[in-house]
Amino acid sequence: MTYRERSDQELVRLCLRNDERAARELVERFERPVFSLVYRMVRDRELAEDLTQEVFIRTFNNLRRYDRSYKFSSWLFKIAYNLTVDHLRKKQVKTISMHGAPDAVTSERQEATSLTLESGEESPDAVVEARELAGHLEDAIAKLRPEYRTAILLRHVEGRPYEDISDIMGVPLGTVKTYIFRARRELRDLLEEVREEDDEP
Amino acid sequence: MNARQRDRMGHLQVEELDALAIAGDPELPAPRSAHAAECERCRREVDEIRALHGLLVALSPLQPLVGFSDRVMQSVRLPLPWRLRVLEAVRRHQLAAAGALAGSVAAIGAGLAWITRYPELTPVTIAAFLVERSTALLWSGVMEVGRLVYGAGILDAAQGIAGQLTPLTAFVAVATVLVVGLAALRIMLSLMNVAPASRRVDAA
Repeated sequence: MTYRERSDQELVRLCLRNDERAARELVERFERPVFSLVYRMVRDRELAEDLTQEVFIRTFNNLRRYDRSYKFSSWLFKIAYNLTVDHLRKKQVKTISMHGAPDAVTSERQEATSLTLESGEESPDAVVEARELAGHLEDAIAKLRPEYRTAILLRHVEGRPYEDISDIMGVPLGTVKTYIFRARRELRDLLEEVREEDDEP
Repeated sequence: MNARQRDRMGHLQVEELDALAIAGDPELPAPRSAHAAECERCRREVDEIRALHGLLVALSPLQPLVGFSDRVMQSVRLPLPWRLRVLEAVRRHQLAAAGALAGSVAAIGAGLAWITRYPELTPVTIAAFLVERSTALLWSGVMEVGRLVYGAGILDAAQGIAGQLTPLTAFVAVATVLVVGLAALRIMLSLMNVAPASRRVDAA
């Protein structure tokens, strides 16, 4: 059986036996979703990479403390969430723009910290439209409180069930439902505002 | 079903709305499905969630720069199995390990040499001796504690207190002891870092 075919739990067991290939497989398996979540929280590519790297280091350093009755991915996301929220609290970052880090003042710095959104659409107009919409949505997500942002991203982008989100964020199930409900309301209102601005002559 | 009956049933909850909007093929109980089919407000909510879900799912997956996993792997130290940990410790502290090994060998050798001087010492007689000594030690400990309790007048004090206890004060005393004991136990466990793994794990 190849490493790619093994379950997360099996890979963790191998990591505990100092198997580097198993660790690499876990990193490759989860680098995208963890980076996506962290990036959408901090909106700075370099910082998001540093934080994601730190997430994996902490995960492997604490692997002995991992309770195997718990989903590995939830545990990993929990570490990512705690680390990112702690960072946001320390720095009091109010992330806003998709076009680079909040502290990016030069065009080089903006370019270095921004992300280009890819689109599966074919026609140039559709690509531009999809990018604009995605940009508006990313900006709207960035305006949400970190708790709402995490909950809505885990639910809709990562497809996590409510119970998992509750475990990851360390809050009761009812609180998760409230976060998601309010996040949706706020996103809807923010997108509505953008639409009204676009419609204005 | 009229509007009043629908309102009495209540609108769909967040997870029910989710099931309809995201899963598409929900297994809602029949009355809830009926409500969903007839209630305009719930239908509107489901449509809005579905639209938002579509937008969020379509967001481009983000990925770190090429070579990210290599950089991570360079910084990661995987946990070692206990045998390797022992070998690692021995490698790091060679002098101390050599001293400990020499000391252990000398102690075991001296013990064996001492035993061979007395042919009457067999494993059975040694075990019997150890059991006898440990039993005697245990009893002397119990007797010592008893002497201390008696000498300090704790028994008299306890009898005096018991005479004044009412069921209520006894209950309060027991409850207080329990609460304080459990709190102490919890503090002790948290100091020993025996919290469940599902708790915060970021304090590496």
